[in-house]
Amino acid sequence: MSNQPATEDNHDEQKSKKPADTAFKQQRLPAWQPIITADTALPVFLIIGLLFIPIGIVLVVTSERVLEYDLDYTDTNCISSTGGNVTCADVLRSNNFTGASCNCTKTITLEQSYTGEVYFYYGLINYYQNHRRYVKSRDDNQLLGKAPPVSADCQPFQTSANGTAYTPCGAIANSKFNDTLTLSFNGTSVPLTNIGIAWTTDKAVKFQNPANPTTYFTNASRPPNWQKTPWDLDTSNNNTNNGYQNEDFIVWMRTAAMPTFRKLYRKLNLTNAGTFQNGLPAGNYVLTVQYNYPVTSFSGRKQFIISTTSWMGGKNPFLGWAYIAVGIICMIAFVIFFALHKTWKIQNRPPT
Amino acid sequence: MGQNSSITNLFREIGNAVTNKRNTMQNPSTPHLDGDTKRIITINHGPQQTKYITNNISTSKYSFISFLPKFLFEQFRKYSNIFFLCIAVLQQIPGVSPTGRYTTAVPLSIILCCAAIKEIIEDVKRHIQDGAVNKRRVLIFREGSWRYTTWRQVKVGDIVKVLDNEFFPADLVLLSSGEPNSICYIQTSNLDGETNLKVRQGLPQTAHMISSIQLKELLGVIECELPNRHLYDFAGTLKLNNVAFPIPLGSDQILLRGSQLKNTAWIYGLVIYSGHDTKLMMNSSSVPFKRTNVEQVTNSQILFLLLILVILCLFSTIAGEIWNYQNKSAHWYLGLTRLTGDKTANSPVNHFGYTFLTFFILFNNLIPISLQITVDLVKFIQAYFINWDRDMYDPETDTPANARTSNLNEELGQVKYIFSDKTGTLTKNVMVFKQCSILGIMYGSGNVAEFNSYELLKNLEYHSTGSQIREFLTLLATCHTVVPENKLRTESLNDIVYQASSPDEYALVSALKEMGVIFFRRTPDSVVINFRGTEEKYEILNVLEFSSDRKRMSVIVRTPNNEIKLFCKGADSVIMERLAPDEPNVPLTMEHLESFAKDGLRTLCLGSRILTNEEYNEWLIQYREASTAINNRNELVAEVAERIEQNLVLLGATGIEDKLQDQVPESLSMLLKAGIKIWVLTGDKKETAINIGYSCKLLSDQLLNLTLDEETLDDTRRQLREHCQTFGDSLRKENLASLVIEGKTLKYALSPSCRQDFLDLAISCKTVICCRVSPKQKAEVVELVKRSTDDITLAIGDGANDVGMIQTAHVGVGIMGREGVQAACAADYTIGQFRFLTKLLFVHGVWSYRRLCKVLLYSFYKNICLYVMELWFAFHNGFSGQILFERWTIAIYNVLFTAAPPMALGLLDRCCSAETMMRFPAIYKMSQNRSDFNIKVFWTWCLNAVYHSIILYFMSYAMLRHDVAYSNGQVGDYLLLGNIIYTYVIFVVCLKAGLESDSWTFLTHIAIWGSIASWFVFFIIYSSIWPTIPLAPEMRGMAKYVFSSMYFWLGLLLIPITALLTDFIYNCLQRTLYKTLMQEVQEKEVANQDPYDLVMSRQTSTVSRVAERLALLKSVFVRTRTPKMSGIIPGPYHGFAFSQEEDGVVPQNQLIRNCDTNIQKPPGL
Repeated sequence: MSNQPATEDNHDEQKSKKPADTAFKQQRLPAWQPIITADTALPVFLIIGLLFIPIGIVLVVTSERVLEYDLDYTDTNCISSTGGNVTCADVLRSNNFTGASCNCTKTITLEQSYTGEVYFYYGLINYYQNHRRYVKSRDDNQLLGKAPPVSADCQPFQTSANGTAYTPCGAIANSKFNDTLTLSFNGTSVPLTNIGIAWTTDKAVKFQNPANPTTYFTNASRPPNWQKTPWDLDTSNNNTNNGYQNEDFIVWMRTAAMPTFRKLYRKLNLTNAGTFQNGLPAGNYVLTVQYNYPVTSFSGRKQFIISTTSWMGGKNPFLGWAYIAVGIICMIAFVIFFALHKTWKIQNRPPT
Repeated sequence: MGQNSSITNLFREIGNAVTNKRNTMQNPSTPHLDGDTKRIITINHGPQQTKYITNNISTSKYSFISFLPKFLFEQFRKYSNIFFLCIAVLQQIPGVSPTGRYTTAVPLSIILCCAAIKEIIEDVKRHIQDGAVNKRRVLIFREGSWRYTTWRQVKVGDIVKVLDNEFFPADLVLLSSGEPNSICYIQTSNLDGETNLKVRQGLPQTAHMISSIQLKELLGVIECELPNRHLYDFAGTLKLNNVAFPIPLGSDQILLRGSQLKNTAWIYGLVIYSGHDTKLMMNSSSVPFKRTNVEQVTNSQILFLLLILVILCLFSTIAGEIWNYQNKSAHWYLGLTRLTGDKTANSPVNHFGYTFLTFFILFNNLIPISLQITVDLVKFIQAYFINWDRDMYDPETDTPANARTSNLNEELGQVKYIFSDKTGTLTKNVMVFKQCSILGIMYGSGNVAEFNSYELLKNLEYHSTGSQIREFLTLLATCHTVVPENKLRTESLNDIVYQASSPDEYALVSALKEMGVIFFRRTPDSVVINFRGTEEKYEILNVLEFSSDRKRMSVIVRTPNNEIKLFCKGADSVIMERLAPDEPNVPLTMEHLESFAKDGLRTLCLGSRILTNEEYNEWLIQYREASTAINNRNELVAEVAERIEQNLVLLGATGIEDKLQDQVPESLSMLLKAGIKIWVLTGDKKETAINIGYSCKLLSDQLLNLTLDEETLDDTRRQLREHCQTFGDSLRKENLASLVIEGKTLKYALSPSCRQDFLDLAISCKTVICCRVSPKQKAEVVELVKRSTDDITLAIGDGANDVGMIQTAHVGVGIMGREGVQAACAADYTIGQFRFLTKLLFVHGVWSYRRLCKVLLYSFYKNICLYVMELWFAFHNGFSGQILFERWTIAIYNVLFTAAPPMALGLLDRCCSAETMMRFPAIYKMSQNRSDFNIKVFWTWCLNAVYHSIILYFMSYAMLRHDVAYSNGQVGDYLLLGNIIYTYVIFVVCLKAGLESDSWTFLTHIAIWGSIASWFVFFIIYSSIWPTIPLAPEMRGMAKYVFSSMYFWLGLLLIPITALLTDFIYNCLQRTLYKTLMQEVQEKEVANQDPYDLVMSRQTSTVSRVAERLALLKSVFVRTRTPKMSGIIPGPYHGFAFSQEEDGVVPQNQLIRNCDTNIQKPPGL
C-alpha cells in the first residue's frame, strides 16, 4: 500500500496508525486477582462460621420470645350459637351460601400474658390469593377514586347485570374476608382497633375515595358477595376508614404470596387504661365469631391468631436455625480444608 | 461437524450459482448488437455505446436506504430473535400473557438498537476503506488530453498511464510501455502468489504509441469476451482503423487489476473491464459465513433448552388444567366458573392452548434474550482489543492488526493446525547474497546480515586462487538475464539499477556491484562489465535457457581475450554430474553446500569451460539445426545444450538467503510448543520449500524427515501404505516427524483411495510441507483436515492464491504487508507480520476463548437462575401462571441489572498476564482442548443455576412463611416476597460473576457493584411513580416496605452467601486437589514467582516420551528401508533455488537480445 501515487498519502503517513498506549486498550488495567485456595478460603470459612452462629442464636431466641396463639375455627371450633349443634360452616352450606350469617362463641385460654403490642390475625389455608386470574382481577385506577369505566381486568366482576361497574370491582374485592371476630375477657370486650393495620403508603396514596363518597357509593353497585356498601364497612370511623380507604379492605387487597397466609385483623388498643393497659393478661377469653365467610367448599381453613411481635416481626425460627446451620457448615468446611491444606502441602513439597 | 460443513458448502455453491446467474443476467440487458456474447469497446470515440458498470468498488454491506430492511432481515434470520419476536407477538393476545403486552417487545427493541449501532459502526469502516481505494489517483487520457482522476471515475475505453510500482486501476490491454518492444514487468503475487515477475508485451501495432499525439490517432474497436473469473485466459481482437485485419489479443496483453507494474517506467493501457467486472473482483467471493465451534455447541444446547422449555410448559399446563378441573368451582372466590359462563366455549380462559401459551411466555426467558447481543458486543470489543494491540503493530508498514470479523475470536484460542503460505508470509521475498565458496574456500558468514567482501577481494589480489575468483565473479556478472538501467542518465556507475525477473539473479548482480564488479550495459549481443575499474566487453554467443528440467542456465561468451567460454550455473546435482573427471574441489565444495543448506540458503553451483573455436563451431551447427526444428524444438535444443555442458571446471557455489520475515523461526517454534501442527503450503519448488523448512527450523536433523515424490497414483498409494504401516502404533499421535510432499503426489494423495492414508500419515507429523500446490489444492488440503479431524484450522497467507484456503479454514489470517490486499480482504484477521500470530493466538485467542465461554455460561446461568423460580412459584399458586415478580422488573433484568457483569467477564477477565502466556505456549494447550466449554460444563452451569434458584426461593419462602414481616404486626404480600427474592437474585448473580472473574479491575468492580446499585436505585424510583405515572401500581411503596423489614436485611446476609457457598467450596476444592496448569501459573504470578520450573516440570515427561518414540521410529524406518524407498531425507537437502518465469510471453533468450541500454527510452508523455 505504500506505493500509491498522489500527495494525499504523504499526508496520511504523518498520522501513524499505531494504537494508543492506554492501560485499557492494551488490557493492562491493574487488577486484583482473588485466588480461592485453601489459604485464602480458611479465614473466610472461619469468619462466616464465627459470625453466623451467634447471629443465629440471637434470632432463635428472638423468635422464641414471640408468643403466638392460634385457633382453627373453620368447623368444630365454631358451633352455631342458635343451637342444633351444627357448625357454622354447615349452616352456611345449608343456606347455599346466599349471605346467611351464623354466630358462634369459643373459649380460648392464654397460658401466658401477652405483654406489649398484641396483634390479631385471621389466617386462611388452601386459599389461592396468588392465583393469576385472581391477582389480576382489580382496577387500581378505580381505587384511586376515579370514575368508571373500570378495567376489563376485573372480569368476571367488572360490571353488574344492569351494566354499572362494581365498586370496587374485581375478584379480590368481591371475595373480601367478612367474618367479624371479637374477643372478651371476663365479660369485658377487649379493645381492638383497625387503624394502622394497612401499609401507610397504601392508605395515603393507592386508595382514595371519590368525591362525595356517600352518594357515590350508595348509587354504585357493590360486588355481588358484599352484604354492605363500601361506605358502611366501618361504622365507627366513618370518614377516614371507609370506602376504598377501609383498612380491612386495603389489607385484603394486598394479595398474599402463598396459599397459606395470615392477614392483620386488629391491634390491641393500648391507649385505654385498665386491664389491657400492658397487653393481654393470661386467662380465659371468649371469641365471638360472626361467621360469614365460606371456605369448606374448597377444603380451606380459617384461623384466628393472637401474636406479639419482636423487633423482627412475627414468630419464625427458620432464619435463626438457617444461620446456625450455615455457620456450622462453614466451620466443618474450615476443619476439612485445614486438614487438606496440611496434608496436601506435605505431599506436594518438592523433593530438594 | 462433517455434515455441517458439507451443508455450508452446498449453500456456498448455491450462492455461487446465484451470483453467476446474476452476472450473466446483467449483460443481456445491454442493447448492443452481439452484446450478449462479447464486449465491444470503441477507442477514442467518445462515450461507449454500451453502459458498463463504473470502476467504483463497494464491499460494504448496507447503503443508506437498504440499511433498515436488510438489517431487519439479517437480525430475524437468527433463531433467537425470531423466537423473541414470536413471544412479543403472542403477548398481544389479550388475557394470555402473565407479564403484560410489551415486556418482550421493549427489551427486544433495545437489543436490536444495540445491534444496529454495532452494524453501523462496522459498515462505516468498510465504506471508508472502499473510499480510500476508490479515491486513488491515476492519469487518464480522455478527449485528447491527460488529466488526473480518481480510480472510481475510470471508465471502460479510457486510456490510462500507470507508472512504475503503481497498481493497475482496472483490467487493461497493454498498448505500449517505456521499455523496448512495449515490454513491461508485472508482479502478480497478489493474484496468484507467484513471486517472480511476469513479462507482458503490447502488440507491435500499438507499440509505437509513446506520446499523446500518437495516442490521439489510435482509433478502432476492441472486441473481447464478457467479464469472467479466469485469471489466465483472455480472448479478444483489436480492429484498428488503419490496419486492414483484426489483430488477436491474448492474455499476454492483459494487465489485471490487483497486479503491480514493476521495473518499467510507465505503460499505456486501455481499460476493458472495470470495477466489479475485473477478474480480481470476479474472483473474490464474499467471505463465507463461518460458525464457530462454541456457537455450534451453544445452538444445539439452546435447542435442547427449548425442548426443556416446551416440556416444562406442557407439564405446567397439564398440572394447571388438572388443578382447574379439580378446583374451579370449589374455589368460588376466583370466579372461574363465572368466567366460563360469560363467554363462548372457546374463550381464552379455559383453552388448553392458551394456557400453554401463558406458560410459554412465562418461561420463555429461560433462553436468554440478551445472549446474542451480549456475545456480539463482547466479540466486537474483543476485536477492538486486537486492533488496539501495540505489540501487533508493524511500524514498517504502519499497519496495526485488524480483526475484520469479530465472529471468530474464540476460535483463535483453539487452533490445532496452521496452514501457512511461504512467500510473503514466512519469507520477505527478498533475496540476499550471503555466502560463497570458491575453490574450496568459504567466504562470508551465516551469522552476518550482509556479505562481507573484504576477504574475497583480498584473495582476489593476492591469493593463489585469484584468477579463479575473477572467473567466478565474471561468470556471475555475465550469465544471467538481468537488464541494467541508469534512470538518472548519468555517467556514474553507482546509479545503475537492475531489472530482473528472477530475484536470485538480482541478488547476485547487486552483490557484485557492491564488490566493484559492475554489470552496466547490455546490448543485443554483448554484456559490458566494469571489473573493478576496467571495462570489459563479453560477447554473448548463445544463451542456453533455464528450465526446471535442466535446472541450469548457461551462456557461451567470447571474452575480451577472444576466448570462447561456457559459463554455467545451476543446481549442485546437475553441475556435479557435468564436471570434468578428477575435479579436486568437489568434496570441500560439497561440504560447504551442505552447510549452506543447513542454514536454509538457496544454493547454486558454478562451472565454466573453455571451448576451442572448432569445438564451438561444430556444436553451433547442431544447435542452429535444433533451434529451427519444427517439431520438439525444446527437447532438441535441450539435448544439444546437454552436449556442450560437459567437462566443466567447478568454480564454486553461492548461497543466497531468502530473507525470512522477522522472528519467523522463533514464532514457529513457539507455535510448535503449543501443540500446533504446522503445514506449509507453497507454490514453490520442492527445493526452495525444503530450504525454507530448514531456515525456519521446521525441518531439522532431530526430526524424522519423510518425503513423498511419486509420479503415479499407484506408487503414491503404495508409499503411503508403507509409511503408515511403519508408523504402527504411533500413527495419528504426536511424533517428531516431518513430511514433504510434492504437488503432483499431493494430487494423488488427495484422491479418494489415498486420502485416509495421507491424512493419517500427515497428522502423525509435526510439520508438513506441500510444494507446488495450486490455490485450489491449498483449499482442498485445508478442507480435508478440517473435515476429518475435529480440530480448529487456521490458514495464513498474503496473496490471492491463499484466498481459497483462508476462506476454507476455520480462521483465515491475512498478512497485510507491502503488497496486496487480496488475502487481507478475504481474511478474518489481518496482521502486519507473521510473528504477530503468536500473540494473536496465545494471548488474544486464549483470552477471547475463556472470556466468551464464561459469558455464554454465565448468560444461561443468570436467566435460568431467575426464571426457573416461576416454576417453583407455580407449585404454590395452582399452576395459574402468576409471576412472582413485577413484570417490568423482570423484563429489564437482562438489559439493565445483569447486563454489565457478563460484559466485564467478556472484556476484562484475565487468567494470566500476556507476558506469561507468551512465555509459556504450553498454556495454550488448555484452551485447545475445549475444556472450558462443552456439553458437560454447560449443563453443570445450568444445574448450578437451578440449585441457586432453589436455595433462593425456598429459603426466602421459609423466611417469610408466616407473613408477619414487621414489628408493627403488618403483613406483606406476594410482591414483597418477590422483590426480596429478586434483590437476592441480583446479589447472587452479580457476585457469581465476581466469583468467576480471575481478575477484578476497577471496571469489574463498577460492573458488579454498579449493577447491584442500579437495582436499588431503580427499585426506589419505581416504587414511587404510581399514580403520577400510570405504571406499576402494585409496586407503590414496595421499596420502603422491603427496606424496613428486618427479615430482608438478615436474609440478605444469609441467603446469597448460602447460595454461593457451594460454588466457593467447589472452587476451593478444585484449586486444592485438581489444579490446572493455568491455575498454578496464575498462583505463581500472583505470588510474584517465576513459573518457569513449574511449566518445565510438567512438560519434561511428555517430551522424553516423544523423543523415545522418535528414536524407535527412526530405527524402524532405517531397518525397513528398501532401495526403492527414497522417502527419507538422509541429511539436509542440497537444494538449489532459482526462480525464473518459464514459457513466458518473451523467452529469456529474446529478453536479453531485445535489450539495448544504449538506446534511450521514451518518457511517455
